[in-house]
Amino acid sequence: MAMEGGMQRMPFFYSPEGRLLQVDYAMAAVGRGSTTLGLKTKEFAVLSSHVKPTRSLLEPAEKVFVVDEHVGATGSGYIGDVNSLVDEIRVQAQRHRLVYDTPADVGSLARHVGQYLHNFTLYTVRPFGASLVLAGADPLGMQLVQIDPSGTTFRGNGFAIGAGADEALEVLTKGYREDLTLDEAIALNTRAIEALNGGGTAIEHGVITRESGKFVHLNGGKAPRPPAPKTN
Amino acid sequence: MTTTIGLTCSDGVVLAADKRASKGFFVGSKAVNKLFKLDEATAIAIAGQMSDAEYLVNLAKAERRLISLRRGYPLSVHESARLISSIVYSGMKSYNPYFVELVVAGVDAEGPHVYTADMSGAITTEPFMASGSGSPLAYGVLEQGFRAGLDIEAGKRLAEQAVRAAMERDPGSGNGVDVLALPNGNWRGVA
Repeated sequence: MAMEGGMQRMPFFYSPEGRLLQVDYAMAAVGRGSTTLGLKTKEFAVLSSHVKPTRSLLEPAEKVFVVDEHVGATGSGYIGDVNSLVDEIRVQAQRHRLVYDTPADVGSLARHVGQYLHNFTLYTVRPFGASLVLAGADPLGMQLVQIDPSGTTFRGNGFAIGAGADEALEVLTKGYREDLTLDEAIALNTRAIEALNGGGTAIEHGVITRESGKFVHLNGGKAPRPPAPKTN
Repeated sequence: MTTTIGLTCSDGVVLAADKRASKGFFVGSKAVNKLFKLDEATAIAIAGQMSDAEYLVNLAKAERRLISLRRGYPLSVHESARLISSIVYSGMKSYNPYFVELVVAGVDAEGPHVYTADMSGAITTEPFMASGSGSPLAYGVLEQGFRAGLDIEAGKRLAEQAVRAAMERDPGSGNGVDVLALPNGNWRGVA
């Protein structure tokens, strides 16, 4: 490998400052993605993602995903990377059902995708340019987890990733209360996204409540409504 | 060979087994323990190839500990039974079957449960179950004596009675009875 002036080095090694530059760049790629939020109380969790204004003839990309009945995900960064990470979690959720015949807990799903992402920081490959926020319900209660390209997972009541994440998180932090109603939380997420991207933009929401235990798309105008489940 | 029994009671589960290990027509051991605790709330009664069964018990213990450390709450009885049947099923499908018939019993958030898992990986659950060569004889006693709402003390007596009846007529079972009870209060999971 060429070592031009000592500047070229194998990109998956540590920099002299002790940083993994490829991972830093992946985080920067996430920072260029659309503003994406997660908010949680004891009663519910909401995922919201700004759908970038596209040309009028284009259908907007899906940004909030159902992972399993009781878990949803959203992400920011390269949408192809987001999609393939969501696929990985969906498969793991079904693998858990196959072995244990119970819904997977959200923490384990987050850990799994964290390990998957971590593997891409170790070898001669490009780390994923995507962060995810998972929301779900399990025996431990409502869950909200953020997962970064490094494989790090964070649990918490509010997360913001993508463009203007710091500002959006500030709006969430100021507006957050433990007794927030679902409508207030959706309004808060909307406000945080619109503060950065201007009003009247398309926002996709996904919601899970403790009572229903089911993650559903919220029809925020653009998001397709899932077909109603068959009742036997 | 062997007779094992699991039964649900109002306040927990009871497991019972005989103490004979057969080597064909020979009594290989007269003092074998066939009841194993996975933890304070879940236990297994083994029948069949002892090496396979004990290996499965140890594997289930390790897997259960790993998953409960990761997710922060222990496996329910149903999850434990399904975990074991998944392992047994994959064994059968790869032409390396585990020659076992297990009774998986325990208490969890939903109360007491008894499952049996055979070497094909099938699992079934009923309020009381028997397994091993003496099970037809034991079932006779259980069908007569079991009723819903039995407490642990009555369950222990019925389980021992059933194993002793099987030992009288099944040459694969004998040499004494072990009984193990797990009260509902032993569950240390969520809700």
